[in-house]
Amino acid sequence: MRLDWDAAYLDGRTAARRRATVHITRTGLDVVLAEDGARFFWPFREIRQTQGTYAGEQVRLERGGEMSEVLLIGDVGFLSAARAASPEAGHLHDPSRRRFRAGLTFGALVTAVALALGIYYFGIPAFAEVAAARVPVSWEESLGRAIVDHFAPAARRCDDPVRQARIDAVVARLTATAQPQPYTFRVTVVNSGVVNAVAAPGGNIIVFRGLLERTDSAEELAGVLAHEVEHVLHRHVTRAIFQRASTGILMAALVGDVSSVVAYGLEGARTLGTLQMSRAAESEADRDGIRLLQAAGIDTAGMITFFDKLSARERGGDDILPRYLRTHPTTSERIATLRSLAAAAAPPQGRLLPDDAWDNVKNLCGQRPADARSPRR
Amino acid sequence: MADTCPRCGFAEVSSDRCPQCGVVIATYQSSLEKMRRGPAPRPAAPAARPAAATPARAAAVTTGSRHVIFRGSGGSLFGIHVVNALLILATVGIYYFWAKVRVRSYLWSESEFEGDRFAYHGTGRELIIGFAKAALFFFLPATLLNMLPELLGASPVVIIVTRMLVSIFAAIFIPIAIVGARRYRLSRTSWRGIRFSLRAKTGDFARLWILGWLLIPLTLGFYYPSFIVNQHRFLTSHSWFGSERFSFDGRGRDLLPAWFGVVLLFVPTLGLSWFWFAARRQRYYAEHTRVAGARFRSTVTGPKLAWLTISTWIGLICTVGLAWPWLTVRRMRRTFEWLSLDGPLALDTITQQAQQVNATGEGLSGFFDADLGFT
Repeated sequence: MRLDWDAAYLDGRTAARRRATVHITRTGLDVVLAEDGARFFWPFREIRQTQGTYAGEQVRLERGGEMSEVLLIGDVGFLSAARAASPEAGHLHDPSRRRFRAGLTFGALVTAVALALGIYYFGIPAFAEVAAARVPVSWEESLGRAIVDHFAPAARRCDDPVRQARIDAVVARLTATAQPQPYTFRVTVVNSGVVNAVAAPGGNIIVFRGLLERTDSAEELAGVLAHEVEHVLHRHVTRAIFQRASTGILMAALVGDVSSVVAYGLEGARTLGTLQMSRAAESEADRDGIRLLQAAGIDTAGMITFFDKLSARERGGDDILPRYLRTHPTTSERIATLRSLAAAAAPPQGRLLPDDAWDNVKNLCGQRPADARSPRR
Repeated sequence: MADTCPRCGFAEVSSDRCPQCGVVIATYQSSLEKMRRGPAPRPAAPAARPAAATPARAAAVTTGSRHVIFRGSGGSLFGIHVVNALLILATVGIYYFWAKVRVRSYLWSESEFEGDRFAYHGTGRELIIGFAKAALFFFLPATLLNMLPELLGASPVVIIVTRMLVSIFAAIFIPIAIVGARRYRLSRTSWRGIRFSLRAKTGDFARLWILGWLLIPLTLGFYYPSFIVNQHRFLTSHSWFGSERFSFDGRGRDLLPAWFGVVLLFVPTLGLSWFWFAARRQRYYAEHTRVAGARFRSTVTGPKLAWLTISTWIGLICTVGLAWPWLTVRRMRRTFEWLSLDGPLALDTITQQAQQVNATGEGLSGFFDADLGFT
């Protein structure tokens, strides 16, 4: 066993590097400086190793507090020799374990990936659900108001109290069966050709003129509203906010320090994840929306016809329609699910409104000059 | 023969070796003696002195062009990163601070200058305390002040006024964070056992900083080069390596033509002229910075800097951050290659001078994304 090793000594007081020889004893290191033959002793228990655990690094041993002295030994064989010579040197790094450590690191990689997937698929949705349920309704309402102000600034709202009352009546009939629930529902119609409807948290539902004009009966709009009411009742938007935030934190943990640049790259991955989670929310809103219609005694055929109409237009390559479909992906599969759910109960008797009355209501924004982006051809 | 051990105080020592702590008495005493005297007779230079390389000490002065060499590998850094990610997940994020220390420790340890590696002395404990303090004194009050009026349903005027107050509050904290983070990082960095330090009054920097942001709009941006050079002068000329002070002799007006150029060409070059200015600035800063008789020099150019930065971004974005370890290693190698320290370097009169520093500024800088270094 080799006991004498070449080293460099830093005294912690000057920047001079001194050549030294280190002799390993049973209790510590005997250090002799080359230039003046000065000798001193470092007991193993006072020695900290701060470098030399990675390939290519020299061994760095420190002793003392703030202004610590340092011994630098170029050959990692020193560590094995010291560990073999004394049981007190057990805290020094063992170079023969580097292979094992590489294995451990690989194990850590596998575990980290598994843990991250587990958190992503189970932990985050569960957390978001629990957290969203604890958000006060008043917070949801103020968040919802901000969203409504964004999509529907006052100047672009269609105000017609008489016809609006017909729509409100539909909402009231739907929500009457979903009691008890803490929200006050309010439908805002926006003068915009976009075929879309948005459920903001706290009970605010935004319907765009484009969508309203494409409905052919009150039942068709009731289907859309039932779907949006379920989004509100399930707190899907609030949940999505929690999911987004915690996905961001998860990714930060995986990637390490997230500078603004990496954040851009992550944004893409996060959006994909959000879309996937939102599909689950959509099916839930569909399913419970149908049930809501049935409970309110409204014919579910309207909802199915309307979704059918949208997906047919999508296949036809109409550019204006798919906005709703991109956020509410209406696949034939989903429509099939809706049909089977609807078939479970007999269609109710009676209509919400006669069709000619509905033609009047759906042109709520009609008196205004046609929007430049109007889809009419 | 001693009858009490000089090290642990054990009373019944009958041979030369203490039965309790195992110390060899004679060796221990002689080493104590050496420690008291210091291991070698040093030149009588007790206090800090400007390191003018006088011919009398020429033997201890080395000349030539020196580089910091980065010797780390992306593979090792990736290994550290993987273990860090696992422990961060497993501890619900608390390990983050220790993870940061492990990464810095590796990067510092792999940076070599004149045959000696740098060392990082920060600890996760310090970082987490710094973060907690910054959260308590800055982040929490700022967030509350920002949100409360709206939650309480205050009038729009109150909301706007509090928002402005928060902005002012943040504007005061940014320079504090910059100085604090720099102070902490330098104090936890050593080379050849000697610590770096920043010895400056935070208030002076905050004044310079706030005054600068007031003057920039008033002078239609002409003050900007002076502003950044003043900041750099402040941070550099208050930086020390042990007893040796860094000095900076640049002036803002020297960068004014380059600043003009970048502003005029910003739109036609789609912003790429910024790299040209950044490279010019780096070269200027280096050429005007001196330590221990030597002067820095930088060979960075606009295209080099642009390529390094843009390719790093693209790499990070395409791999969703996974290539971070390799890209960091590459970036450190390049950056060090461009920078050199030229001329006579007098190191033997430099002595250690301990400073008391906490990590609050470091924690603050985390909130502003005002990171100065590589990590």
